[in-house]
Amino acid sequence: MNLLNRRAMLKAAGAGTTAAASNMAAVDVLSQPALAKELTRKGKNVILLWLAGGASQLETWDPKPGRPTGGPFAKIQTSIPGVEISELLPKMSTRLDETAIIRSLNTKIADHGQGYFLMDRGRRAEPGLEYPHLGAILAHELGQIDSQVPDYVSMYTSTEGRRQGSAGFLGARYNPMFLTDKMIPEDIQLPDSITDTDHNDRAALRRVLSENFARQTRDPGINSHETAYERVRGLMASDHLFDVEREPQAMRDAYGPTQFGRQCLVARRLVEAGVPFVKVARAWWDSHGQNFETHRELCADLDHCMSTLLDDLKQRGLLETTLVITLGEFGRTPKINGSLGRDHFANAWSCTLSGCGIQGGTVFGKTDADGQTVIDGEMNAGDLFATIFAALGIPPDKEYMVGSRPIPIADFGSEPCQEVLS
Amino acid sequence: MIPSTLKKTDEWKSSEIVFCLTHSADLKQLWCAGSDFKVYQYDTSAEKPERQAFEGEGHTSYVTGMVRQSDSLITCGYDGQLCWWSISEKKLIRKIAAHERWGRAIAGSPDATKIYTIADDMLCKVWDAGSGELLGTLQEHAAQTPHHFPSMLYAVTTSSDGKWLATGDRIGHTAVWNTETLEKVAEIETPVMYTWDPRARRHSIGGIRSLAFSPDGNELAIGGIGKIGNIDHLGGPARLEVFDWQKGERRLEIEDNKKKGLIEQIIWSPNNEWILTAGGDHNGFLTFYDVETGDLVHQDGQSGHIHEISVGPDFDELFIAAHERVARWTMEATSTDETPPEPDESTDDDAGK
Repeated sequence: MNLLNRRAMLKAAGAGTTAAASNMAAVDVLSQPALAKELTRKGKNVILLWLAGGASQLETWDPKPGRPTGGPFAKIQTSIPGVEISELLPKMSTRLDETAIIRSLNTKIADHGQGYFLMDRGRRAEPGLEYPHLGAILAHELGQIDSQVPDYVSMYTSTEGRRQGSAGFLGARYNPMFLTDKMIPEDIQLPDSITDTDHNDRAALRRVLSENFARQTRDPGINSHETAYERVRGLMASDHLFDVEREPQAMRDAYGPTQFGRQCLVARRLVEAGVPFVKVARAWWDSHGQNFETHRELCADLDHCMSTLLDDLKQRGLLETTLVITLGEFGRTPKINGSLGRDHFANAWSCTLSGCGIQGGTVFGKTDADGQTVIDGEMNAGDLFATIFAALGIPPDKEYMVGSRPIPIADFGSEPCQEVLS
Repeated sequence: MIPSTLKKTDEWKSSEIVFCLTHSADLKQLWCAGSDFKVYQYDTSAEKPERQAFEGEGHTSYVTGMVRQSDSLITCGYDGQLCWWSISEKKLIRKIAAHERWGRAIAGSPDATKIYTIADDMLCKVWDAGSGELLGTLQEHAAQTPHHFPSMLYAVTTSSDGKWLATGDRIGHTAVWNTETLEKVAEIETPVMYTWDPRARRHSIGGIRSLAFSPDGNELAIGGIGKIGNIDHLGGPARLEVFDWQKGERRLEIEDNKKKGLIEQIIWSPNNEWILTAGGDHNGFLTFYDVETGDLVHQDGQSGHIHEISVGPDFDELFIAAHERVARWTMEATSTDETPPEPDESTDDDAGK
């Protein structure tokens, strides 16, 4: 959805809540605001820095200089004794106190589409089950039913690899506010023909009618519909969150001039306002040719923006309650191809978790000398998702009921990695 | 004459990426270096040449450039170091911290007294080839691209009379320098060499990868790659532009879509008849162009991207530094109305660099 269409959203929200109320006991929270608050008002947030296309673990978090696969870049000592990362990330090297590096992802799927599916949902596709993606799950788990801000904002301005994802069985209520062309959502302002007073008056009248109707019918879906209207009102008032011009010049300068930097600043503004899940996609790392040149550019962007974001969150006291994730669909081959590129590789790659619930300064897992295989602490997508849920205080063994079928929130058999949890 | 036949006569494979090489005047010795940080010598006259590594703690990253000055090899690398190696003793004899960023290339002056190095600190530094003393620093190229990402300084060359020096960067900017005064005397823009993808992938690719003056020094050939649709790959046309650099006029603009990729090196024939370009994408190409018309007159290729070539003094043989191999090719012309130039012992190995 490129635009946030108010009428469409109301329709979708209503449809989503109706479906939820009729099909799923666990997702029934939308019709029970009191329970919803108890379950979801945790004040925790997630910013996912999605490194679309697949960043090289060897040029970021798991360097192997001096090996045939190592590439030209050196490794540098970080603020954590004994922990070294690529010299392409000098700013992050001094900011690992709040970050855990996982070097042992073995997710096996090295295809963009399937890899995206896996790393977006924490499990492989299963016929007959439309499992929601991470953002939808966390919007559902962390969002507040009466929130006046969006539950889930996804920024993906590049076109390559752009996928919106689906909230699956959680319903359209948990689809993202998906920003592609502009960073400020379109069509959430009142039409010129309606004044704010008119809009408030109409809302009041609708509320009175709805309350009367609800008393007569005692249908829980009515409350959901009413809540959806209130949310739309809130969303319409939240456009200022996307306006980085409201930030002091010094803060804008700190995040820098790149689009990724501005989007990271928007992400901070959103979580500060209570948006539980923000995804910032930084495309496109698919460096089949000229891998080292590509990573010189993109790592500089990642290094600056990620370190500024972590600093900003920390200074505002938000990092304790905000989990910052760097992840993509896979990593890149240790083997350097004839175009000085690296190809798709999912057998031994890296990601990071920073902030909320994370034992900073941790390096978990190990790859062999050339980065070809995981030799310690192998972690699959389900384990990673279980770890993310655990870091946020969501029991990884929690189940959703889809019809009469219990579906665990993390994939079957997955376990959180206790070593990276605080 | 324009070479019309190219033939690969030898190939020595290795597990490394070979980025740079040079050879002796009699072509019996070949020196090369690359992704394993070492410098090697091949005895190319042997039936089965085996490479011999030089001794010493030299580079700690990819070795990206090499020139020979009498008994020394001088190399630069991604570690920013500049290393002098004794050919006769096959060992490291001097090491200097030359640049704070990744060293990209090196060129020697024709009189063998100076060397010029470039790096991603966007500086060109002038060194005394014998003593290693820093003689000057040339600052011109922007540290960042117009899109706020780190730029890179890829190419450097000198004119055959040693009067002029040219440096070229990622965004297609070339500066020409007077080597005596170290003053900038001209600027040339070749923006097509730089592809910025603002929409799909939001990063860039390309850059000026090679430079060569004409024998009289009046023209400058600039090599790289044209606009690329999918910047995940080197799938763009090999691009060559030739300028009358003092007038700032472009005389030739050539793109080859048959064998795509970066032009990594340009050799301008001493008789000013042809220009040889070498480079590639996943594979390598060798392409001859008519200097006057810009027509592609002969082309061949090989498996593995070509990073550098070194042409023999009679212009009938060349060595290739490529992905996981070194190769020797012969060149033959259909007619022979040219007398090859007499090789200069002190500079023969730097021809065309």
